[in-house]
Amino acid sequence: MVDVSTFLSITIAGIGLGALYALVAMGFSLIYKVTGVLNFAQGQLALLGAYGVVIFSTPAVLGLNLPAVVSVLATIVVGLLLGIVLERVVFRHFIGEPVLSVIIVTLALGGIISGFLRFLVGPNFMSYPAALKPGWSIDLPLGASIGASFTLGVVLSLVVVVSLMLFFRYTVTGSILRAAAADEQAAMVLGVSIERTIIIAWALSIAITSIGGILLAMASGGAGFTIEAVGIIIFAAVVFGGLDSIPGAFLGALVVGLLQEYGAFYATDIIGPGAGEIMPMVFLLLVILVRPRGLFGTERIERI
Amino acid sequence: MPCGEYFTSYEGRMGLFRWRTQRIALVLALPLPFLAPLAVEGGLLSTITQVYIFAIAVLGLNVILGYAGEIVLAQGAFMAIGAYATSQVLADGLFGVQVGLLPALMIGGIMAAFVAVLFGIPSFRVKGFYIAISTLALQFISEWFFNNGQLEWLHGGTQQPLPSEVSLVGSWLTISGSDMQLYFLSLVLMLLFAVISLNLSRSGIGKMLRAIHDNDLAAGVLGINVFKNKLLAFGVGGFMIGVSGGLFGYYIGFISPSYFTLDLTLQHYVMLLFGGLGRVWGALLGVGIVTALQEFLRSTLQSVAANATSLEPVFFGVVIIVVLAVEPKGVLAALGQLKDYLRKWPFAY
Repeated sequence: MVDVSTFLSITIAGIGLGALYALVAMGFSLIYKVTGVLNFAQGQLALLGAYGVVIFSTPAVLGLNLPAVVSVLATIVVGLLLGIVLERVVFRHFIGEPVLSVIIVTLALGGIISGFLRFLVGPNFMSYPAALKPGWSIDLPLGASIGASFTLGVVLSLVVVVSLMLFFRYTVTGSILRAAAADEQAAMVLGVSIERTIIIAWALSIAITSIGGILLAMASGGAGFTIEAVGIIIFAAVVFGGLDSIPGAFLGALVVGLLQEYGAFYATDIIGPGAGEIMPMVFLLLVILVRPRGLFGTERIERI
Repeated sequence: MPCGEYFTSYEGRMGLFRWRTQRIALVLALPLPFLAPLAVEGGLLSTITQVYIFAIAVLGLNVILGYAGEIVLAQGAFMAIGAYATSQVLADGLFGVQVGLLPALMIGGIMAAFVAVLFGIPSFRVKGFYIAISTLALQFISEWFFNNGQLEWLHGGTQQPLPSEVSLVGSWLTISGSDMQLYFLSLVLMLLFAVISLNLSRSGIGKMLRAIHDNDLAAGVLGINVFKNKLLAFGVGGFMIGVSGGLFGYYIGFISPSYFTLDLTLQHYVMLLFGGLGRVWGALLGVGIVTALQEFLRSTLQSVAANATSLEPVFFGVVIIVVLAVEPKGVLAALGQLKDYLRKWPFAY
C-alpha cells in the first residue's frame, strides 16, 4: 500500500538530500566546465569540509576551540585556500596531460585527504557542536516536515545555482571563465590569464564543496567517513545532468537524492540493507548506457 | 643494441629474448626465483608469494589499461568475484563433483571475465571517463553485494574460510597449502600469465589494442573492430584479475569484502604506473618495488605511532602524483634513459 503522507515525507527528504548533493555536484561541474579536470576526489573534499568544522571546534584535535559559526567560516576559507594551493602545486603540472593521468591524480589526492584525516581525527564518528545541530523543522501540509539542515541545504543550493548562473552570465570574471572554458588558446591571445581563471575556479569549487560537506555532516549530527561515498553518488547526478552543465548538476542531484530515499524505503525489504546507496549507481549505469551526454551536456565531436 | 649483432630474420626481430646479453641474463636469472625458497623462509617468503599473486592482477590491469587504454577502477571487484567464485567451487564442487583448485581458479577467472565484458559493453559508445565511473560504480556495487547477508544464496556468505588442503586437479595432486607449495603455485601461474601478456603484446591482437589506445577513431578507420577488441581486452584482463583474486583468497585462507576495497584498486594503480604502463616488465618491477616499500613503510610507521598506519595512503598518493608529474612512463622508462646515458657517457650524443 502506498501511503500518501509517507510518500510525501520521503519525497521531501529526497529533495533535501538531493539539494545537499547538488552543492557537491556543482563543485564538480564548475571544475569540469572551466578546467576539464574530472575530479574523483570530490567525496574526500566534502569530507574535508565536514571534518574541518570538527578540527576547528574540537580542542582534542589541534588545540583549537573556536565557536561553531567561526569554525564553519574558517573551514570555507580553508577550502578557498586549498583550491589555490592545489592548483599551484598539483594541477598546474597536468594541464594537457591525458585523461588517465588526471583521473589517477585526483584519485590519489582523495586517498591523501582521507588518509590524512584518518590520521588526524581517527576513524570514529565525530559529533558536531550543539550550535550546529539545529532542532527546528518546518511543518508542511499532509503531515510532512523538513529538517533544519535539509532546509538550509535547499536554500543554499538554490542560492548557489542561481548566483553561479548569474555570475557566469553577467559578470566580467564569469565571462572570462566561460571564454577560458570554450577555447583556452583564443582566450590567452585576448589577454586572459588562464592561470588566474583556473585558480578562481578551483577556489570556488572547493569552497562550495566544503559547504556541501558541512551540511551533509549537519544532516547526520556529525562528521563520519560515510560522507566519502558522496563522491561516487554525485557522478550519477552530474552524468545525468550533463557533465559541464551547472543547472544540470543541480537537477541531477535532486533526482539522485529522490532515488536514494525511495530506494532506501521501498527496496530495502526486497534486496537488503544499503539499497538506497545502490539505486544511484544503477541509475548511473543506465544513463551511461542510454544517454551518456546527459540532459544538458554538450556532445563532444571527435576528429582524427 | 649491442655491437656486432644483427637481426637476420623476422623471428629474431620479434623474439622475446633478442640479444645475447638477454639470453645470458635469462639463463642466470631464471633459476633464482626457483631457488629462492632455499634462502628465505617464513614472512619474507610469504611476502614474495603475495608479490606474485598481485603481479597476476596487475598484469591483468595492464592488458586493459596499458594495452587497450580503458581506465578500469574495479580491480577490487574483479578480484572479489574471482575469490568468491573460487571459494564456492572449492566448497560445493561443480555440479556436485570436486574439481580441484586449478579448475576452481579458472572458473573464478571466467566469472570475473564475464562481469568485465559486461561492464565493457558501454565502451561501444563511450570511453575514458565514462568507463572509469561505470567501473567505479561496479566497485561500490560489489562491496555492497558481498557485504549483503540477504543475498547469501548468490555469493554463499559474506565471510568464507577456504580449505588449506586441496587437490590441484580433480582429486589428484593434493597439496596442504604450506608456504613452499603456495610459493611455487603462485610463481608458476605468474610466469604463465607473464608469458601470455608478453605474447599478447607482440601478436596482432596486441598491436590492434595499441592502435585503439593511441587513437580509437583512426584505428576504426583502418578497419580494426574497435568494440570487439576492447571487449577482448576486458575479457583477458578480467580473467587474469579474477584468477589472482581466487589465488589471493586461497593464500589468505579466508575471504572477506574488506580485502577487496577501492584501496586495493589504488594500490594496483600505484604499482602499474610506478613500474611502467603497458609493459610487462614494468608491471612486475612495480609490484616488487611497491610491495617492498609498503612493507618497509608499514613497519616504520608502526614504530612511530599506533595510528600512523593510516598515513600509508598519503604516502602512496604522493608517490603516484610525483611519478605522473615527473616520469609518466614509470621506473622502467627512467631506467632506460639511465642506460642510454651511461652508454654514451662521457659524450652527450
